[in-house]
Amino acid sequence: MPRSVNSRRFIEEGWFHDFGKGLSLTGGRCPACGQTYFPTKTVCPSCFNADQEKFPLSGRGTLHTFARSHMGPSGIPTPFTIGFIDLQEGIKLFSLLTECDPWDKVLAVGMEMEMVIETIRHDEEGDEIVGYKFRPSMEKPS
Amino acid sequence: MRSVAIAGIGGMRFGRYGDRSLRVLGEEACIKAIRDAGMTPRDIQLAYAGNLAQWEWGQGLLIGHYVLREIGLTKIPITRVENGCATGSTAFHEAWYRVATGACDIALAFGVEQMTVTSSEKILSVFTGRQHAERSGDMGNSAPGLFALLARRHMEEFGTTREQMAMVAVKNRQYGSLNPEAQLTQPVTVEEVLNDRMICDPLTLPQCCPRGDGAAAVVLVAGKIAKRYTSAPVSVAASVQVSGTYPDKGSYTYFDTDVRAAEAAYRMAGLGPDDIDLAEVHDCFSVAEIVHYEDLGFCRKGEGGRFIEEGQSGPGGKTPVNTSGGLLSKGHVIGATGISQIIELVRQLRGQAGRRQVEGARVALQHNGGGFIHTDTASCFIHILRK
Repeated sequence: MPRSVNSRRFIEEGWFHDFGKGLSLTGGRCPACGQTYFPTKTVCPSCFNADQEKFPLSGRGTLHTFARSHMGPSGIPTPFTIGFIDLQEGIKLFSLLTECDPWDKVLAVGMEMEMVIETIRHDEEGDEIVGYKFRPSMEKPS
Repeated sequence: MRSVAIAGIGGMRFGRYGDRSLRVLGEEACIKAIRDAGMTPRDIQLAYAGNLAQWEWGQGLLIGHYVLREIGLTKIPITRVENGCATGSTAFHEAWYRVATGACDIALAFGVEQMTVTSSEKILSVFTGRQHAERSGDMGNSAPGLFALLARRHMEEFGTTREQMAMVAVKNRQYGSLNPEAQLTQPVTVEEVLNDRMICDPLTLPQCCPRGDGAAAVVLVAGKIAKRYTSAPVSVAASVQVSGTYPDKGSYTYFDTDVRAAEAAYRMAGLGPDDIDLAEVHDCFSVAEIVHYEDLGFCRKGEGGRFIEEGQSGPGGKTPVNTSGGLLSKGHVIGATGISQIIELVRQLRGQAGRRQVEGARVALQHNGGGFIHTDTASCFIHILRK
């Protein structure tokens, strides 16, 4: 499992947590007004309530839009595919997209997507940065 | 609020001036604007300087003081402002506010940036560093990425085509070929735009604004004394600033900032979108201009593609947009961009826009969006100017 060791670390340590069923992305929820957030917030940006809950995001949603980038930060080989995912929890999430070749045939706005946790880039020292990506859902629609 | 007018403008051709300093570029624009207003630096009572960064050496600290000291403008309040890509508009808005509220009668606003001295990667890292909660810049997002995502969703929902987006670049480069201050002056065809290098699909290189170096300055005066300095004062009918809400819900096909700023600006001016004779809008990418047509009310939501295709934003159209050539031709010289847009509109309203003149132009709108966080621009300015 990736932890903060020499050559492999999370993009943000606090984003990933094992709530009992393996690693998931950590969402924030305000018990007072019910708003959900990613990443978690110190106070609720909607109602300023200070007590915020953490909960596992489902990692499931639909593809809001996508694009194929031929430029970007160093450490991510180009071209690569990006998108916004509408998570089931009502959060819009920017993500690298994976397992979607050929991207212009496979991807379609509105399709079901699921999260995977894997290496997203290498930093200047060559260390692996682990984060999340989304891929077309492997689950058959019920 | 008192009436405020623009009495002087000082622009320059944006380009590669890596051998000159920010200070020297700023001086040139300020001297031109003060001369254009028929003033001397002693007339200026307050100044705002817009500058995002000295890209290779950190922030451009005190740039307003460094520039203005050289032309003998000292003692008065001088402030540097920053607001992403709307930095220049921030300087203008603040100067307007000081004159409008009576704090002073004459103010200078200028913007300066020198971007060719650094790399695209450095610029990307400055904009999308660790302060962005979602860290999307570190996960592959970029300005072209954000606008390519916007483009794809707009294509999906409204049937906007690659050709229509390319037409924005064609129109703006056509206008740019008529503007001696544009950086790119060679017209392009739809085929050339579509077949050029892909930056972020669906956006090719000519659909992404170049960067550059340069400066722009204006002198604002209280309306009651404007005639002392210019025979053709252009008044500021609305000056509006809003910040983003970064919505998670809804469709990523519009800018919430644009819509709210436009509403407020039209209300302030007592005008509507049909009263606008021409506009300079923030065409950092081709698709952005299409979305701005819709958000600013020049056409209905989803009809921006048709608006460009029918020539409504071109010469002789309903609302000519970016007659300067826009950011796509001039280049986006961040600190200077907003003021450069205002300079084009003043030229148009004075009837001094040469071969790109919009005949009978009386009311003009400037739109400048700054910074991009998640799904929205961080800051957005709209100014409505009137002859």
